[in-house]
Amino acid sequence: MQDYEIELVAGDTMLLDVLLRLKRQDNTLTLRKSCREGVCGSDAMNINGRNGLACITRVMSLKEPVVLRPLPSFPIIRDLVVDMTNFFKQYHSINPVLENHDVPREKERLQSPAEREKLNGAYECILCACCSSQCPSYWWNPDKFVGPAGLLQAYRFIVDSRDQATEARLENLSGAYRLFRCRTIMNCAEVCPKGLEPSHAIEKIRLKMLGVQSGAKEPDVYRRVPASDTGLP
Amino acid sequence: MKPGSSGLPVWLVQRVAAVYMLLFLPFIVWSLTVRPMHSHSEWRDWVTNPAMTVALCFFILALLSHMWVGLRDVLLDYAKPPVVARVSVMLLGFALLLLGGWVLEILVKARL
Repeated sequence: MQDYEIELVAGDTMLLDVLLRLKRQDNTLTLRKSCREGVCGSDAMNINGRNGLACITRVMSLKEPVVLRPLPSFPIIRDLVVDMTNFFKQYHSINPVLENHDVPREKERLQSPAEREKLNGAYECILCACCSSQCPSYWWNPDKFVGPAGLLQAYRFIVDSRDQATEARLENLSGAYRLFRCRTIMNCAEVCPKGLEPSHAIEKIRLKMLGVQSGAKEPDVYRRVPASDTGLP
Repeated sequence: MKPGSSGLPVWLVQRVAAVYMLLFLPFIVWSLTVRPMHSHSEWRDWVTNPAMTVALCFFILALLSHMWVGLRDVLLDYAKPPVVARVSVMLLGFALLLLGGWVLEILVKARL
């Protein structure tokens, strides 16, 4: 660990602003960043013990001293940069591609508003890895357990009305490790910077495996909307 | 389901066992409160009632299944390397089978 002292100046709204000023002070400090607005997921890190995105974490909300660590359990490349290889390997293992083998139509494959609504709470994932990195089950078996992010994306395709590979997707997750390491600890939902709930999606996949259809009128996966998205102070 | 697809059945067993125990345990507490037993012969009469014997057998089966799934999950998560986890799960299964056999022996001997 290395200690830094830095005075906040006008314009230091988000943690990323401070980190970039810190980098001008010490240019050996290494971190990933890109969009600076919470949509790319590059600057995911552990901030005072809780995973989050540096670019949308308000500096004034942080208790001092601010302790920054790389994402837990991921191999560290340097400073705050981690190796995401296994995370993306698990993501690709769920086949994150729409499988539809019908003859392509002249226009798009249509969905009803209700069918489209089922994707809400799943498609918004930015693959920042905050969830998987905070999941104890993923810590113990990162090579076998798909993890919350991968399982949320699996759910996104399972529930897509245009996808024709539901059986194969469920079969892919049926082993002892792939999905069923999930203990519903719910760290994933707690730390997701987009307000998504992978644990709820995982439960929905289990019900799908059981052949239980959710008949409720509400959207299939609840989505907590972060306050910043509502326009509320 | 293909071989090795043990996730869903095992998860289901644990939940069904939990539901059975959730219903059975309050019944046992109520039964022992309403009719406390003060001697071995009273206990034997209670246990050898055919309905109670069957219910107790199911309870022990539920308890041991639930324990097996839970402890197996702990071993699969924490025991490394994987061969240690597999051997530990086998030993656990064997130990629980012995426990189950012991309970069965008690119930059978109570009837004799």
